[in-house]
Amino acid sequence: MSGAIEEITGRYVHVEIGGVDHRVYFEENGPEDGIPLLCQHTAGNNCQEWRNLLTDEEITDRFRVIAYDLPFHGKSVPPTTQRWWTEDYTLTADRFAETIVGIADALELDDPIYMGSSMGGNVVLELADWYPDRFRALIGLECAAHSPGFYIDWLDHPHVNTTEVNAYSCWGLMAPQSPEEARRETMYLYEQGATGVFKGDLYYYSVDHDYRDKLDQIDAERCPVYVVNGEYDYLTTPDDGRETAKGIGDGAVAVEMAKIGHFPMSENPELFNAYLGEILDDITGEREGELPDVIAPEDVGVELHPPAPVRKPEGGGE
Amino acid sequence: MTDMELASHEWWERYKETVNDDPEMRVRGHDEFDANFYVEIGDERFLIQMDRGRVRDVVPNPGLNHRWEFGVEGSREAWEEFVRETPPPFNHEIIASHYRSAVRGEDGHLVLTGDNKRIFQNLRPFQRALDLMRVAHNGGGS
Repeated sequence: MSGAIEEITGRYVHVEIGGVDHRVYFEENGPEDGIPLLCQHTAGNNCQEWRNLLTDEEITDRFRVIAYDLPFHGKSVPPTTQRWWTEDYTLTADRFAETIVGIADALELDDPIYMGSSMGGNVVLELADWYPDRFRALIGLECAAHSPGFYIDWLDHPHVNTTEVNAYSCWGLMAPQSPEEARRETMYLYEQGATGVFKGDLYYYSVDHDYRDKLDQIDAERCPVYVVNGEYDYLTTPDDGRETAKGIGDGAVAVEMAKIGHFPMSENPELFNAYLGEILDDITGEREGELPDVIAPEDVGVELHPPAPVRKPEGGGE
Repeated sequence: MTDMELASHEWWERYKETVNDDPEMRVRGHDEFDANFYVEIGDERFLIQMDRGRVRDVVPNPGLNHRWEFGVEGSREAWEEFVRETPPPFNHEIIASHYRSAVRGEDGHLVLTGDNKRIFQNLRPFQRALDLMRVAHNGGGS
């Protein structure tokens, strides 16, 4: 509708990370006194992945939703005091966790919920282990103790069209049931990443992050951990999620999201936001009963987009 | 559902038409896709000869006189799943399927073969060409 203005606001906050000032872009919507819900994008992407959560009134009526661009992503330009172009961008677990906590501190968020997907999902394990008192709860979407095999040299190679490849290497991470326009937008967002940043994030994702022998270090009774993986996520499957929650023990819950994949918030926002409502109700104590092992579209009253619409020939007709 | 058997002569004819009519294969540089690849379905191998984003020919049982840069191999069951209107996880896309085979060591999935560099240089049109097997099989879709 021409003239409609979305309620999202975008600003910049300065955050000291590794002793260096970083200018971090963030968008938010929701009441100032709402429970902060801090959202981390996936590897190589930016906060636009959360745009449909930021405009979902059912969520933003109660929660102050904040989504930021990690340094080097989206509108968070590299630090101007550093000669960053002389080295490969490489994200480590230490740096990633420090950055997230640094942003929460810089925004003075009181008892926030953290939520991230993919690398943002995996890092709930480090956050739970290293900063158990900083967050009210941690939601790891597409989260596992280990996610090997995606630190691939071709994702940053001069003979490869990495703009397109960094996107479409992720095409099959989404479920075929997700609406095509939303899957294509997710790819479009991927195509905006700077050279080498996706691969650099995947150093954390596939190399530095490995909690297979460390899950018992996490005390999820101090900070609840939700491991929420999509049925079509081939990198970190729902079974990987169950194993991760089991390894953590009390306080950790695994939920499988049916008919969705690795980018739930952007590949099928309507379905994901409905699923998320159940998780958030559990965190705030408004939900009766335990969360199910599998949550499906019919449980949240969402009708799926037809999975494979017949292409109509030009000029109409079947 | 299709009335044709996967990889029959008629099926490949329909596939060729589907690729050659596909609007996405005409844009975003995919009309430069020139790499020949093969598809191995059980014991049967088919060479897909590409010419500027179009299928020029499909050659059954290619031999010493033919050239290709990469290919995909899998059981007939895995391919039947791949071309289903709503394919099951994780045979719903080539990188997904290859990942479960190559990194996780699982059976029942498709495997990429050949020159990895050439695969990544041609990833999207190659992936689209494979996804169009599903479109051809079901008489439409995306």
